[in-house]
Amino acid sequence: MSFSIAPTAEGRRLRRLLLLIFLIALVLVLLAPLTSTDQADTMGLPELVDRAQLRILTTIAMFVVLASAWNLVGGLTGYGSFGNVAFFGLGAYTCAVVVDTHRLHLPLAMGIALAPVVPAAFAVLVGLPLLRLRGHYFAIATLGTAVAVGEVVKNIEFLGGATGLFPPILRRADLLFLYLMVAAAAIAVIVTRLVLRSRFGYGLIAIRENEDAAQVIGVNTTAHKVVAFAIAAALSGLAGGIFALWNSFIDQSLGFSLDFNIQMILMAVLGGAGTLFGPVLGAVVLELLIQVLAGRSDVAVYAQIGLGLLLAITVLFVPRGIVDFLGGSSRLSWAHLRRSLRETGV
Amino acid sequence: MTLLLQQIVLGLLVGGVYVAVAVGFSLVWGILNIVNLAHGAMIITGAYLTWWLFATYHLDPFLSLPVVAVVLFAFGYLLQRVLVNRVIRAPLFFTLLLTFGVNLVLVNLLLLLFKSDFRSVTPAYSGSGIGIGGVQVPYIRLAALAVALLVAVAVAVLLNRTRTGAAIQAVGADRDAARLVGIDLRHVYALTFAIGAACAGIAGALISTTQAITPTAGEPYTLQAFVVVVLGGLGRVGATVVGGLLFGLIETLGQTMVPGLGAGWANAIAFAILVLVLVVRPQGLMGLGRPQ
Repeated sequence: MSFSIAPTAEGRRLRRLLLLIFLIALVLVLLAPLTSTDQADTMGLPELVDRAQLRILTTIAMFVVLASAWNLVGGLTGYGSFGNVAFFGLGAYTCAVVVDTHRLHLPLAMGIALAPVVPAAFAVLVGLPLLRLRGHYFAIATLGTAVAVGEVVKNIEFLGGATGLFPPILRRADLLFLYLMVAAAAIAVIVTRLVLRSRFGYGLIAIRENEDAAQVIGVNTTAHKVVAFAIAAALSGLAGGIFALWNSFIDQSLGFSLDFNIQMILMAVLGGAGTLFGPVLGAVVLELLIQVLAGRSDVAVYAQIGLGLLLAITVLFVPRGIVDFLGGSSRLSWAHLRRSLRETGV
Repeated sequence: MTLLLQQIVLGLLVGGVYVAVAVGFSLVWGILNIVNLAHGAMIITGAYLTWWLFATYHLDPFLSLPVVAVVLFAFGYLLQRVLVNRVIRAPLFFTLLLTFGVNLVLVNLLLLLFKSDFRSVTPAYSGSGIGIGGVQVPYIRLAALAVALLVAVAVAVLLNRTRTGAAIQAVGADRDAARLVGIDLRHVYALTFAIGAACAGIAGALISTTQAITPTAGEPYTLQAFVVVVLGGLGRVGATVVGGLLFGLIETLGQTMVPGLGAGWANAIAFAILVLVLVVRPQGLMGLGRPQ
């Protein structure tokens, strides 16, 4: 089974319409927070978005970056990485160390600028050996790498050890971080689009469909995989860097959170792995769902159970993701759900 | 010298638990090609079952082993038959996601049932042991090692000496050929997963006697099962035994004998080994052939 989606002419029209609606909604959502600024207040505009909602929006944007980045490796190249959170964590720690007053103490912009660099370099370094592995072995090796990096970071005093690092708190910067994160999300989507339409992207898809055949027709598989891995790492690292400043605290359990790790994968798969907007849609839907479910702490346990069931349902019934129903090759129907069950079962 | 000997003995005893943790995981992975991310949660379920039987009926943890094994066996059979069988031919990644979902549900159900307090099973003999030439051997850990090895032998005998085992191995070797000769795939898949689950339950029972448990304590065991299977190699019970004991030794000696490293480095060591073995020798120390 492959993830490729070939829309019909009708499907393409529907998709364009949906995209337009989505863009309009996006612009409105992004402009609404401006009503919380002082200028808007003096102009007598009503405040449309409160701080909690700002937080949710920023988190969604962050997961758009992470899910899109994962998609480059897991969706496009077919290498199901279970350790992308390592890049997020490395980016966050890089940024935190760079701006920390007791460590490098450089400007904040420098921290964000360096946040993608270190994870990308790390991805090249570990990608060369790891990307030789396939299937479960790759998944486990990446998971192992993520856990190991987190544990090493926890044991190094310069990186804050078990206590963590505390980048300076920026007051009244909620909007700044929202737009930074949205900018990162935009970069992630644009990069995915560029990759999808490029010779490089076709090389990645060829690797996913049949790596040996790709090699035979002249795709330099190692270079392709490592570069894809490094791009994903840079994007995740950027999100991590912004997150560290936004949260003004980072430690091992936050930077290398296995929850984040699984959420970004789930979002990409739920939305539609290997597609441009699948991870975006997945991030929006799942993060909203998590926020609605987990809004109250007394139902957190039920929220987790719900998340687990959602995973099962996604995998069983919508293996190609939600995007597939929006002008893709499939129509949402019982017959389709039954068929996708039959395709993969015994 | 005595210290080194003591650490080696302790390492082997710890390794015994790892063998129990990994036997079922290895079976499911090798035959069904499923990396069961709910394995740790099933282990903890077994541990809680043991604790519950001990706390309510004062049942000795080693006597309640069969009960725990049967309950987990039934759970595993149902899970595979109803759920996992439906995505068994999907890309590898989907079974990972599905079992992760099962893991979330299990862990949180345990949280609802038992809260997040630490529990431990403490029979009267839990503190005692024998000393041989200055080396201390706790009874419970010795018994755990024995049970673990027994389980490994039982699984090996089942796989290599019985008709059912032959069917399981046939399915693992070639699904379509197995179906052609009349093997009921759904049943054999479910059976294999059930045996894996029963092993997890037994591992949980053993763990509950040596350390405190909490619903979220399962995750490390899934990861350790990975390490053990990768270390030993996939496809042979003997390899898992060697991998488990070796892993116990490395972990114990690494923490105590290498200067500058302490208990905080246990996970870092484990995963460094994991990645190293995967990269240098992906088929494990005594695995069969090169994995795809």
